[in-house]
Amino acid sequence: MKIIFGVLVFIGVMLAQLVVADGNFNTKLIAEFRSYPNSNPGTIDSGQSLELNIDAYKDFGTARGVIELVARIDDQDSGRRILDARQAYIGGEIGGFEIYVGNRQEFWGKAESTNIVDVVNQRDGAADQGGAGKLGAPSLSVERYTEYGDLQVWYMPNFQELTFNDSNAHPSGGLPIKPARYQRSEGKNADDLAFRFSSVVDDWDLAGSLFYGTVRNPILSVVDIGTALEPYYPKQKSLGLEAQYTGDATLLKWESLHGSQDNKNFFAAVAGLEYTLYGLLDQVWDLGLLVEAQHDERPQAAAKRIYVAGLRLTLNDAKDTSLLFLTSQDEDWDQSLISFEASRRLNSWSSIDVGAKFFDAKTPTSAFGSLDDDDTISIKLNMFF
Amino acid sequence: MRIFFAILTAGLASSFVMGTPVLANKGLEIATEVIQRDEGWGDTSSKMTMILKDKYGQSTQRSLRNKSLEGSMEGDKSLVIFDTPGDVRGTAFLSHTKKTGSDDQWLYLPALKRVKRIASSNKAGPFMGSEFSFEDIASQEIEKYTYKYLSDEKYNGVDCFVVEYDPVDRKSGYSIQKTWIDQSKYIVLKTEYYDRKKSLLKTLTFDGYKKYDGKFWRADTFLMINHQTGKETELRYENWVFGTGLSEKDFNKSTLKKVK
Repeated sequence: MKIIFGVLVFIGVMLAQLVVADGNFNTKLIAEFRSYPNSNPGTIDSGQSLELNIDAYKDFGTARGVIELVARIDDQDSGRRILDARQAYIGGEIGGFEIYVGNRQEFWGKAESTNIVDVVNQRDGAADQGGAGKLGAPSLSVERYTEYGDLQVWYMPNFQELTFNDSNAHPSGGLPIKPARYQRSEGKNADDLAFRFSSVVDDWDLAGSLFYGTVRNPILSVVDIGTALEPYYPKQKSLGLEAQYTGDATLLKWESLHGSQDNKNFFAAVAGLEYTLYGLLDQVWDLGLLVEAQHDERPQAAAKRIYVAGLRLTLNDAKDTSLLFLTSQDEDWDQSLISFEASRRLNSWSSIDVGAKFFDAKTPTSAFGSLDDDDTISIKLNMFF
Repeated sequence: MRIFFAILTAGLASSFVMGTPVLANKGLEIATEVIQRDEGWGDTSSKMTMILKDKYGQSTQRSLRNKSLEGSMEGDKSLVIFDTPGDVRGTAFLSHTKKTGSDDQWLYLPALKRVKRIASSNKAGPFMGSEFSFEDIASQEIEKYTYKYLSDEKYNGVDCFVVEYDPVDRKSGYSIQKTWIDQSKYIVLKTEYYDRKKSLLKTLTFDGYKKYDGKFWRADTFLMINHQTGKETELRYENWVFGTGLSEKDFNKSTLKKVK
């Protein structure tokens, strides 16, 4: 692991130097201010962080080196402090196969509210509860593009654990996190394998995938007489299916995962419908209506069934203003989450994101119940250089 | 190509059968000549600066790169990569034009590393907040319109055919487009777009035409003025390159994520 990291840093530094001369070098600085209006006594009620993203690439003949580094400092929460090579890989084509070595990021999935088939990367859970922020996956991957579709094979020799916030930060279960346990005896060093075949057939985008390895999202249990949380990473074998139908203004989405985790069979799925009203109110505004149903039999899920409804307003103006409002509700009408996101460009080198999340639950011991002091209002200022 | 001629012949035949005056076909002939004279461009790449001006004259800029691949049986394929403003840097837009029906379109979001298929019925919607709609920037296929020759007219001292293009797709934002075509070079110099209520919505003028590879005319300035909002968008093209060696693989949904 140390050797791999050393090699990555070396590749990174080398690339960065080569690339600066070429100008294929971009920097982004994100200043974030967060407020926790419902925080319990003894927990932080606000936080600030500064994140630096550096991305660069360099072509060596037909091969390409890519590097994306993330460094984040936070004034309150050590869980959010990170230095990670989101991507640091070299890729090239050999005999019709694209081969990549190093840290890479990949996205699988079709749905909006959650992506259960997106198994390649670990999430940067502490920084981004929604799951968009990911950690780089040290990997060897091979891709082949054919006229029928595209095949990917991933070999991932080093597992990365989910990042957690401090116990007095948000969101958190309010308890310290113990060292993780693994079902597989090799622990972090157990190899993960994933395959995916994706294809476009007229109005349908389809994909099927196989995963064998350690789950990304651990099962958390309260241990040590209620004084700590212990993450447990079981083994998962699964078949993932994805489909999206793209109609005139209607999108139909499907993701499902069949398999076993911790030697127990499970089924999980997300079904969604998105309908867009174009040119709302005789303006150039678009209003997207979004409905998704999540089903997940694994113990990590907040509830077995969750229904999500949302509205997405896109103003299509010169500032690219957009607003997203989502509400999630479990089947027993016990737990709910309301979230709001808005973004707008300020000028050619900056943009602003405003977000809010409010958890509510009747049962205090439920997943959202344990997050009831984690309501968050955040403002992000993104600067691009 | 064979399909194209079949449609053309069918079109001619049906107009004879229906007893439509031959003049009704002159529009189709001109539009066909415009497209035929530009056939064989293969693939191109270019850089573009988009300048958006609001009605108060305040302007914002964005820069992007274009890559296109000529289709034979199918429509053309195109890829747009955004360089500025910073928040959209690395975003890429892939379009597979269909001769009939809706185009296939995908968007690559670099922050998420996600390739998203997007609904393309939003033809009339603005492209990147500009005065150009998605259908304005899509590749022009002969099957997308019916044509009517209107008159001969001089535009900026150049003898032009004025031809009416009627969009076939009912989701088009336009009732008709009036196009001024240079009679000797068969290139479009001006297009007027009329909204669904048949009032003048926008005017697009082309400027700075240059000939590439001894055959293909490309304008370096496109100016779209929206008469109803007072806003305008100017596209300035540079670095037109033909025959860059791009292939189908460069316009694949999955290779979109590798675009830099």
